[in-house]
Amino acid sequence: MQKLVQSTKMFYILTAIAAVSSLYFIVPGVTIAEETPKTFLTHTGLVIQTTGEVIDPIGYDGDALDFDPEKFMKDFDYGEVSVLDDGTVLREFYITARDDQIMEVSPGVFYNVWTFNDSVPGPTIRATEGDLVRIHFTNEGSKPHSLHFHGIHRAEMDGVFESIGTGGKFTYEFYAEPVGLHLYHCHVHPVEEHIAHGLYGAYIVDPKEPRPPAEEFVFVLNGLDTDFDGENNFYAANTIPFYYKHHPVEINVNQNIRAYVVNVLEFDPVNNFHLHGTLFHHYPAGTDTVPSGYNDMLTMSQGDREILEFSYKYPGLYMFHAHNTEFSEKGWVSSFLVKENADDFDTKVEYDDII
Amino acid sequence: MTSSKPVLAISAIAPIVLLAIVIAFLLGPASTFLQFGVVLPEVSIEKVEFIENEIQATVRNTGPIDVSVALADVNDRIQPAAIEPDSSLKRFETALVRIPFDWNEGQPYEIGVTVDDGTRFTTQVDAAFASLEPDVDLFVFLGMIGFLIGVVPIMIGLLWYPFIKKLGKNAFNFFLAFTMGLLIFLGIDAVLEASEISERHLSSIFNGELLIATVVILSFLSLYGIGQKLIKTNNLSTLSKGLTISLMIAIGIGLHNLGEGLAVGAAIALGEVALSTFLIVGFATHNTTEGLAIAAPLTNSKAKIAKMIGLGLIAGTPAIFGCWVGGFSFSPLFTLIFLAIGAGAIFQVVISIFQYMKDKSDLLSNTSLFAGVSVGLIVMYLTSVII
Repeated sequence: MQKLVQSTKMFYILTAIAAVSSLYFIVPGVTIAEETPKTFLTHTGLVIQTTGEVIDPIGYDGDALDFDPEKFMKDFDYGEVSVLDDGTVLREFYITARDDQIMEVSPGVFYNVWTFNDSVPGPTIRATEGDLVRIHFTNEGSKPHSLHFHGIHRAEMDGVFESIGTGGKFTYEFYAEPVGLHLYHCHVHPVEEHIAHGLYGAYIVDPKEPRPPAEEFVFVLNGLDTDFDGENNFYAANTIPFYYKHHPVEINVNQNIRAYVVNVLEFDPVNNFHLHGTLFHHYPAGTDTVPSGYNDMLTMSQGDREILEFSYKYPGLYMFHAHNTEFSEKGWVSSFLVKENADDFDTKVEYDDII
Repeated sequence: MTSSKPVLAISAIAPIVLLAIVIAFLLGPASTFLQFGVVLPEVSIEKVEFIENEIQATVRNTGPIDVSVALADVNDRIQPAAIEPDSSLKRFETALVRIPFDWNEGQPYEIGVTVDDGTRFTTQVDAAFASLEPDVDLFVFLGMIGFLIGVVPIMIGLLWYPFIKKLGKNAFNFFLAFTMGLLIFLGIDAVLEASEISERHLSSIFNGELLIATVVILSFLSLYGIGQKLIKTNNLSTLSKGLTISLMIAIGIGLHNLGEGLAVGAAIALGEVALSTFLIVGFATHNTTEGLAIAAPLTNSKAKIAKMIGLGLIAGTPAIFGCWVGGFSFSPLFTLIFLAIGAGAIFQVVISIFQYMKDKSDLLSNTSLFAGVSVGLIVMYLTSVII
């Protein structure tokens, strides 16, 4: 009898303990304090009122991430130039591959990028037709890597069958031909993995007779599969999702614009490019001097490149993005801010007004 | 018995102290040495609510490490959102993700969040349904539902009292056994419902199935202890013993109905059921048998109507409270625990009835017992099919 009463007591105690300890899990957010809600404007133009934080892929405060698309789009690497005895221009480039870096690819999202010269995409290599291109390649990664250039060159310079091991070096050498917009990337198996992690870049061969003067930009269309499920979580022009939406590319009315567009997207067979407010002449792979069309849409498969030439008639904010709206809603959405006159225009104010 | 109290205390505490030292060693100096394998983050979306132009998702860090939520998406399309109180989640911590979104009623949605390492976690909503406004109307509505599925059917079931009272001993035993059958079914039903909630809404980190087992057994043992104490210590006559059994049954069913009410209220609030009058009819029919269960042990006594009504209310009103709590703030863990408590309570009542029958009858009528239990189970099954 006594035992029974005692055990009953024990059960009371146990039950009470269980009840109290489970309360911790049952009642979520017990400590919600009354705070004045703050109002935020998001990149889609929505207004959020919250006492908490805003999670918006552009980053509300607009802090620069580990990679700066603003700088990258105008950054051309012409190499160290010297002239050989026979008059040929030699351009020497130094490219180092790494695969151990963690980069903040979207505010709050950290991803292991594989890089050429600490950058995704790698540097935009630029030479003139007939130049001798010499690339001193070093692999500082933990896996074998290589450099495979599109273009005309000898088989042993193709960077496919000779992968460069950890700590290894290789010098690639070829003449810059043909004229056009090409591509380089790592060709070590599994190639999809090496490309998806970021081992690629644009390669431009200018004609001896220069193209007409224009403001030039490089847009490498890429994606990031941050959870390794064989589907891209993010899409972008130049790696950072939504970047140019928040920081529009600034140009002027009637200014000639030339865009070098390279599609290196993995997992999705087709990417595209749609320009608002004007149309462009486009040159597939940039190899021909006659445009193959006048359009505002480009459909590009994996590895496709196009040179686009256009100008804007009217000032204002114009989008350019993937017309495959899934891609644009996951980051491949950008804009041009077309200014009337570069001098009398406070762009920051104007942009905020338009939004 | 020669050992003094301090020695006894030390012998009790020593293992705990040693264990604490071992844990401190494992977490401290040995932590780097023992690190093995890759630790992955995990986030569960426990609840999704649709309000005007906004989707709200309650997320919980159910992984072994702290995470921070970087992005939210609807149907795998990135959406700007707010997260309250903030984006960093410690283990077990929850946060509310508020996504401004012009959703369409009745349409399925996939809600996702992406954490700092780029992993995306999702949950599926079969059909978007406006979360009910927590106002007086909803309060009355949920109360009505609880009343209709809890109180009304039990009161109706109690009306069988005069009929059972006129029956002979064997028939009476049959009805007691019938009650046992009903209760066994209800108990199993509660456990299954709890495990369904565990599967649908509860992250695996809570070990839902084990929690159900633990709570069922604890509930059974505690109520058994209380019941025994009530019956034995008061040295009751046979007459009030019947009342005690009825009271125990009413309490057991009440606990069960609280869990059931929580589940129903939550289903209404989450828009998981198309609540039709038909469903209410089904629940009502099903629960009428609960009234019968309370009435059966009373047949040897002259129970007053007031007492009967009191018992009916003990068993039925918890459904109303359940509907309110479940409808206004659904917590899967809370519902699961109450369903499990209800199940334990009901199994305890089954044992009590069995002992009562054994004590009362000189010879336990096996035929009545088996027939009663079987018919009880079958009736419950058939009425459950209607729901």
